[in-house]
Amino acid sequence: MSAITTQPGAGAGLPGSLDQLVPMPRNRRRTELLMLVFAIAVVTFAYSNVGFGLKGKLPPGIFEYCGGFAVLVIVAHLVVRRFAPWADPLMLPLAALLNGLGIVMIYRLQEVGRDGNPGIMSVPMTSSATSTQLIYTALGIAGFVAVLALIREPRVLQRYTYTLGALGLVLLAIPALLPARFSEVPGTTSKIQVAIGGFSLQPDEFGKLALAVFFAGYLVAKRDVLALAGRRFLGIDLPRARDLGPVVIAWVASLLVLFVESDIGTSALFFGLFVAMIYIATQRTSWLLIGVSLFVVGSLVASKLSSRIGVRFDVWLHPFAAGNPSGNAFQTVQGLYGMGFGGVLGRGLGGGQPYWTPLVQSDFIVTAFGEEIGLTGLMALLIIYGLIVQRGLRAAISVRDPFAKLLAGGLAFVLALQVFVIVGGVTRLIPLTGLTTPFLSQGGSSLVASWMMIAVLMRVSDTARRPAPQAIQDEGMTQVVRIR
Amino acid sequence: MNRALRRISLASLIMFVALLINVNYLQGFQSNSLASEPSNSRAFAQKYQYQRGSITTADGVTIAASKPVSGVYKYQRHYTDGPVYAPVTGYDSIFGSTGIEAAEDKLLSGTDPTLTVRNLIDLLTGKQQEGASVQLTINSKAQQAAWNALRAMGKQGAVVAMNPQTGAILAMASYPSYNPNVYTTFNGTQLGNADKALRENQSQPLLNRAINATYHPGSTFKIVTSATAFGTGRYNPNSSVYAPNQLSLPQTTQKLINDSGEACGNGSGHVPLIDAFAQSCNTVFGAIGEHLGSAALKAQAEKFGFNDSHLTIPLPVSPSAFPLINEADFTAYSAIGQFDDQVTPLQEAMLSAAIGDGGKLMKPYLVQTVKASDLTTVQQATPTVLSQAVSPSIAGQVKSMMAQVVQSPIGTAHGIPGILSMSVAAKTGTAQSTINFGLDDAVFTAFSPVANPNIAVGVVIKGGGYGAAAAGPIAVQVIKAYQAYLGRT
Repeated sequence: MSAITTQPGAGAGLPGSLDQLVPMPRNRRRTELLMLVFAIAVVTFAYSNVGFGLKGKLPPGIFEYCGGFAVLVIVAHLVVRRFAPWADPLMLPLAALLNGLGIVMIYRLQEVGRDGNPGIMSVPMTSSATSTQLIYTALGIAGFVAVLALIREPRVLQRYTYTLGALGLVLLAIPALLPARFSEVPGTTSKIQVAIGGFSLQPDEFGKLALAVFFAGYLVAKRDVLALAGRRFLGIDLPRARDLGPVVIAWVASLLVLFVESDIGTSALFFGLFVAMIYIATQRTSWLLIGVSLFVVGSLVASKLSSRIGVRFDVWLHPFAAGNPSGNAFQTVQGLYGMGFGGVLGRGLGGGQPYWTPLVQSDFIVTAFGEEIGLTGLMALLIIYGLIVQRGLRAAISVRDPFAKLLAGGLAFVLALQVFVIVGGVTRLIPLTGLTTPFLSQGGSSLVASWMMIAVLMRVSDTARRPAPQAIQDEGMTQVVRIR
Repeated sequence: MNRALRRISLASLIMFVALLINVNYLQGFQSNSLASEPSNSRAFAQKYQYQRGSITTADGVTIAASKPVSGVYKYQRHYTDGPVYAPVTGYDSIFGSTGIEAAEDKLLSGTDPTLTVRNLIDLLTGKQQEGASVQLTINSKAQQAAWNALRAMGKQGAVVAMNPQTGAILAMASYPSYNPNVYTTFNGTQLGNADKALRENQSQPLLNRAINATYHPGSTFKIVTSATAFGTGRYNPNSSVYAPNQLSLPQTTQKLINDSGEACGNGSGHVPLIDAFAQSCNTVFGAIGEHLGSAALKAQAEKFGFNDSHLTIPLPVSPSAFPLINEADFTAYSAIGQFDDQVTPLQEAMLSAAIGDGGKLMKPYLVQTVKASDLTTVQQATPTVLSQAVSPSIAGQVKSMMAQVVQSPIGTAHGIPGILSMSVAAKTGTAQSTINFGLDDAVFTAFSPVANPNIAVGVVIKGGGYGAAAAGPIAVQVIKAYQAYLGRT
């Protein structure tokens, strides 16, 4: 924010010379509100578009859904004004836009086909899917508000490094320890949820956040030890053997997730998060190389040991081989067909046939967007994710506190990695691993965790951008300072 | 730590760039190849989201229409009197289409470039996109009469009727036929089984015999032989021609005889050509053909439409064949429609049509008009001349002989029930076929009324026996039905 002007009223009634000497940067909350209104408009327009595309008229619930959504994000904006006035002005509108478009797509998928066409849904969606998603959005905003209200400074989190580390491990391990009937996602072999009654929770989404905090706290404390070169080998500074401990633990934990919970995506995400953070903390390329080679070895061993992972590789390399399109590769191939069917401009919201793709409402929601809003729309979505990541990394670079720096950098990178793994998976850039698409996929855990992550990033950026306390009187040893 | 963070930023940027490049490749370049994958159901499911245009006969009977159904596919094709019209309509299924459904698919489905502007307007006004409807030249009365007569006969065969003055096809029936409604199911397995059963059926119900099966023309080829003879200027219908009871042929000991060895005319050895034509003497036309030579016969046959492998109506028509023959004995056989001569029932109708229309052969066609969903005409058939088969005077000479086939008491078609009550000119054919185990193929070609014909008919009944007995009555019924429709009985 290079535009620095005097803030009106900041020093009203005080000597003008002082105000001119120390100008106040603008906190850009008005920009945020404007962008938010724009996001709400886009979402409302897209929602109406679905109705016209499907039935040729305005969809029912336009006031309830779009109004509810607008109220929620405006509340979020007001909370930001109150608790994080200096936070980045783009993160909230970008996240809100993604969340709103996710609701629109879930409504569109819930309605299935044009003019009452029932379509073919492998996992049918209930008629309340949209309102449920809106409730999850409310929970997500509540999480966002709670994080901003309770954590007034990033370093508050540092106090709970080991508590959150233990919590993260527990959250990660719960589904593995529970019997399959509680933890298995219907229609898959992945044990990644806790389902009691009709309510299910994916604890790893929150585990991801808790562990990011733990890694940040742990690495800030130990980074000098870890950065200490042990031996130099082939031009690479190798760490001491005993410092390898935490890396090995993280590696074992992620492999455990991989085998016990059959959740390759989450395992890759955790390991990627850890390697990235250790690299940021130590700036040692050796850690990066060690981490990546451990992951590659782990994956190769896993693909040999587990037939399921071998199948994933086969589907990735030969989706159209005989038997694959109707068998193992059915979901992938249907997703690709959908994206191809959409082409450059898409079929229009409500005009495609995303219902052919199994689980299109969760892991494959990006293919539904590709089909209906085309390459153009999908590129816009990817750029929105890219912008959030960029804003997060920018906050990390500009904040002074190493803990906040590490936390924000890790979270922003893990968002990029998650988008890369799931979007790359469904578009056959890399082998498919099941992950939710942040903000877009159906489901509450992912949405709430994503909103909490945005709150943390905004908290860090608020800290980074907040001007230093300024003297509002220049006489004597004791000064009254303005901190907001 | 900022140096590492910048590198992490770069890594993130690379990941997003990789995703963007990949989706560009997928949606920008691979779109078409993905659409053509056999397991991609989106394209054909999309086809059934819109109402496909209907197919109607010239007299306004809807024979194929898309009806709204509930399910993934919103419209399902339905054929009225399926087996009657199957050779014309063909079918439209999720695996493919045939007949008019295939030939006019782009218009029926509304994807033809001529409909793009209308579709765009529909899109903007919120109107449901709809395919164009196709009106055929088929007359439902003539078609029904042809089908009923074929079914009553119960033998494999086909009937084609056309308007000699325009080339419009009035009837095109084939027996046995199939019900195209079995192809409209959206159940792939069920469809596959139904298709397999029809394909493996010995009686080949899917074969459109009217245009895609060929038979020996038999004596109906004498129309071509006569036309060739008149073209030399050395013959006219009253020429006295050599008419032996047995015709000795060069290079063989086999002798060409008349139908059952009977004498031609009064047995004097010479008859007027018109009598030999009416009685259909093989020896006379064998001798004339041998004299004219194969090249002359072939040239004339080709003017009537033989050896044309590019004819579409718009359904592709199998070529009728008259190959060049070097041996004189086989030339004699080919002049009476045996040996390697092959015709489609459509070709039989075209022979009569050309003679009836003063030697001018019109290009046969099936589609009269195509109308967009807003009822504006998109396409309108314009009759075109395929060839001037013979000069008007020669056509008149052949016409007088064909009239005599019906009128003369010695004419082979004279005894067909009901034929004398109408003005009909015809030629019968009874083609010896080695594959039918003694049963000859019955062939018949006719036009009506003689003076200014509005219908020309070609009939072939495989293994039907005598043309006059098996094929003739069917042609008469079709002519009668059409004349009744026109109000001229």
